[in-house]
Amino acid sequence: METIELTFTLNQREVTVSVAPNRRLLDILREELHLTGTKEGCGIGECGACTVLLNGRTVNSCLILAGQAQGSEIITIEGVEKAGGKLHPLQESFLEKGAVQCGFCTPGMVLSALALLRKNSTPNVDEIREAISGNLCRCTGYKQIVEAIQAAAGKLQRK
Amino acid sequence: MTADQLTIVGKPVRKVDGVELVTGKAKFAGDLQFPGLLHGYARRAGIPAGYIKSVDVALALKVPGVVDILRGEDIPGPNIMGILPPYDQPLLATEDIRYEGESICLVVAESRDAARAGARAIKIDLEEIEPILDIDEAMAEGSRKIHPGGNIVVSKNLIKGDIDKGFREADVIVENTYRTSHQEHAYMEPESVCAVPESNGRVTVYASCQSPYHLRGHIAANLNLPASRVKVVQAFTGGSFGGKDDVASEIGALAAVAALRTGRPVRIAHDREESIIGSNLRHPSRIYYRTGAKKDGTITAREFKIILDGGAYASESPFVVMKALIHATGPYSVPNVRGSSTAVYTNKTYSGAFRGFGVPQGIYGSECQIEELALALNMDPLELRRKNGLKPGDSTGTGQIFEESVGMQACIDRVDDCRKEMADAPEPDPDRWLYGTGYSGVIQGISNGAEGIDVVGGSVQAMQDGSILVGVGLTELGQGSRTVFAQIAAEVMGVTIDQVTVRPVDTDSVHDSGPTVASRSTTVGGMAVWKAAQNVKKSLVSMAALMFKAEEEMVILKENFAILAVDDSARIPLASVATAAYWTGFPLMDLVFSKAPVADYDEETTQGNIYIAYNYGCHLMKIRIDRYTGRVEVLRHVAAHDLGKVVNPLGVEGQVMGASLTGFGLAHLEKIQMKDGHIQNANFADYAVPTIKDRIPTETISVEDYNPTGPYGVKGIGEPPVAGAAAAFANAVADATGIRFTRLPITRQDIVKALQKQQEDSHGSFSKDWRR
Repeated sequence: METIELTFTLNQREVTVSVAPNRRLLDILREELHLTGTKEGCGIGECGACTVLLNGRTVNSCLILAGQAQGSEIITIEGVEKAGGKLHPLQESFLEKGAVQCGFCTPGMVLSALALLRKNSTPNVDEIREAISGNLCRCTGYKQIVEAIQAAAGKLQRK
Repeated sequence: MTADQLTIVGKPVRKVDGVELVTGKAKFAGDLQFPGLLHGYARRAGIPAGYIKSVDVALALKVPGVVDILRGEDIPGPNIMGILPPYDQPLLATEDIRYEGESICLVVAESRDAARAGARAIKIDLEEIEPILDIDEAMAEGSRKIHPGGNIVVSKNLIKGDIDKGFREADVIVENTYRTSHQEHAYMEPESVCAVPESNGRVTVYASCQSPYHLRGHIAANLNLPASRVKVVQAFTGGSFGGKDDVASEIGALAAVAALRTGRPVRIAHDREESIIGSNLRHPSRIYYRTGAKKDGTITAREFKIILDGGAYASESPFVVMKALIHATGPYSVPNVRGSSTAVYTNKTYSGAFRGFGVPQGIYGSECQIEELALALNMDPLELRRKNGLKPGDSTGTGQIFEESVGMQACIDRVDDCRKEMADAPEPDPDRWLYGTGYSGVIQGISNGAEGIDVVGGSVQAMQDGSILVGVGLTELGQGSRTVFAQIAAEVMGVTIDQVTVRPVDTDSVHDSGPTVASRSTTVGGMAVWKAAQNVKKSLVSMAALMFKAEEEMVILKENFAILAVDDSARIPLASVATAAYWTGFPLMDLVFSKAPVADYDEETTQGNIYIAYNYGCHLMKIRIDRYTGRVEVLRHVAAHDLGKVVNPLGVEGQVMGASLTGFGLAHLEKIQMKDGHIQNANFADYAVPTIKDRIPTETISVEDYNPTGPYGVKGIGEPPVAGAAAAFANAVADATGIRFTRLPITRQDIVKALQKQQEDSHGSFSKDWRR
């Protein structure tokens, strides 16, 4: 198959890749760019494990075709950590509140939460529920995830 | 050591492997890269029952990128897997097709896409036969035998006391038959393995798996190699809940065979559909119960018949049968019991281990019986549970007597306290909402018990800098075992938890520790770590005593120092002590083999000592149901469990809430849709894994009734809340609607239909009143 050349901003750095047009953004991230923090849980946009931010909005990267990435700005879990290896307050809170068990849903959860907090710094529980309603977790029962997002919002407020 | 002297055990601790997970750096099996990696993909039968007439791979081998195609004949060993005897499942079917997910060929290719294209190009001629899909049909005389030995996987009996006398003594008898459905594990990470041929004649398999030693055995046998040539390393594993055992062995063995044939690393990674169709599910069940009690509520007898749909292969059915049998009397003292538990083969995806392991099915039925009995006796349901709930010195269903750590009554008391708080709460809009409260008692055996020997290998090593490396043969699956092992090692060694590293399980490093199951990790695995740490501690204490010129009894290890008991300011950094111990020649590593007491019971009656401890629990669930739409809201859910001792409160809460939501899913939301032997909803669009919108407001209550067989008094908590939440939900629905549903899940549609029928029955015809 012919390939197409794509240029986009990934975690604040410009990247160029040459890929088959039927590749999904998920495959490009994991296989071409070796960013394996983005996970595949279902392949049909139902579980949210592959959530990334595309131009500031959450998307299931398993549903985004290569061409859609052209010229976009993408943030993956690898771009959430602060410079110097300092955890983002969301990541800190996920650990502090016990919101991580197996951790397979965690990257997607963190990105959905990040998108929420960027547009709403004081979300209530319903808004948190809405924001992560596309991210499945089989381990936690969700309570500690909600608490983690609330705690992170508080930390970001105080900054 | 008393609780107030503990520094780390009992305190909320962050997951020690959490940073890797929140940053996405943790490598799951599907994330690993190796040069020259090939991809394996199975061609499956797609029919539930039949025979293979011919397989032609010639065309498939010409598909660009296809490197190799394996058939059953190509497996060097016996082409057999299975966790337990009768080991009845082939890796690749050669003759019989027993369920739709049966793998026939494994295509190995340069890419995943090429492997799939190759699989599609294989020509397979199958003769389809009528599948056996119903347990009664499977058990019927003259029925087609799915396996040569017939359609009964295993059947066991439990006999205690005199059942006839028990029912004669009863003033009230209730009986009913309860059914439960398949449930999918739905761990977020589908199964994945990566087999790498090593230059020294060994093969290493990196796996998303629950029981690496099972894998090692299956891989070696199917390679026809000594087990010592196989090393299994558990990669970060994205949940398991009982599910990544058989199937991990299957794809681990296939990948290893392919890797040695091609001389290249091979990955097999399931997609979600393969994960649902091609790996085990929770057993559907049909359970008959009959329970008798005196007027004062004292239960005198219970009769039962448990039938589990095992699907196409035995998997762990023989043990699930036992566990359901042993727990059939629930957490109650029942003097006269007679019952059986049976698993049956059908032409469906095989059933096996799933969090709770036969207990949720049985407890659901058993707790419905308790509630029905309370109604018949006109007795408060919690009082009835209190009256019969096990106490120290009581005899369990198998006649086992625990003198200690039987916290059932305390769990009931705590739930009763919550009920009292709720008593005056107003119930708004009663025209629209039906309110109901349900209860459940819970019991769950800790340790392998009747399922076999319970041994764990553990190692603890002190480095010269005073840091500690821990190895255990039990796997971290998200439940937080690595964290509790770190806590226990830190507690014993007197170091801060950041000084402890718990390494991933690899089968080379410690004694075969069996599977990570049965809520046993903290209790049995924790004991191995505790023992190994004690032995290393001895060296450090001896060294410190020499350095202090004091008696060993005067040395305390804490806060990364050796400290003189009589003078808190007399401190030597543990790093200095460890360095000195090394140069003095004291051993700084210990490898222990820890064994739990062996189960001892009669095979005919299942009477005897089965488990090293039980977790006891009591749940309360208050719900309201929209009488017009059937929508259910859980208003309150209290889960009180006697878990001996909390090691990590954060972890305990996570276990209780996660397991409770899985129980709620079993009871209300989740159902595998099966049609003619085909699963119709093998994806997350159509199979309802609970989302955050289905979250239930679980409150975790920990009762700490010290268990002498666990380190610091612990007992497990991973499984028990599944049963509690499921049964309490069923009883809450019955309380709210006045209708006893006898099948799980009780879906919203079921509720609406039943309410409609109730209305019709009471008004003679469909009432417009119902629609108001």
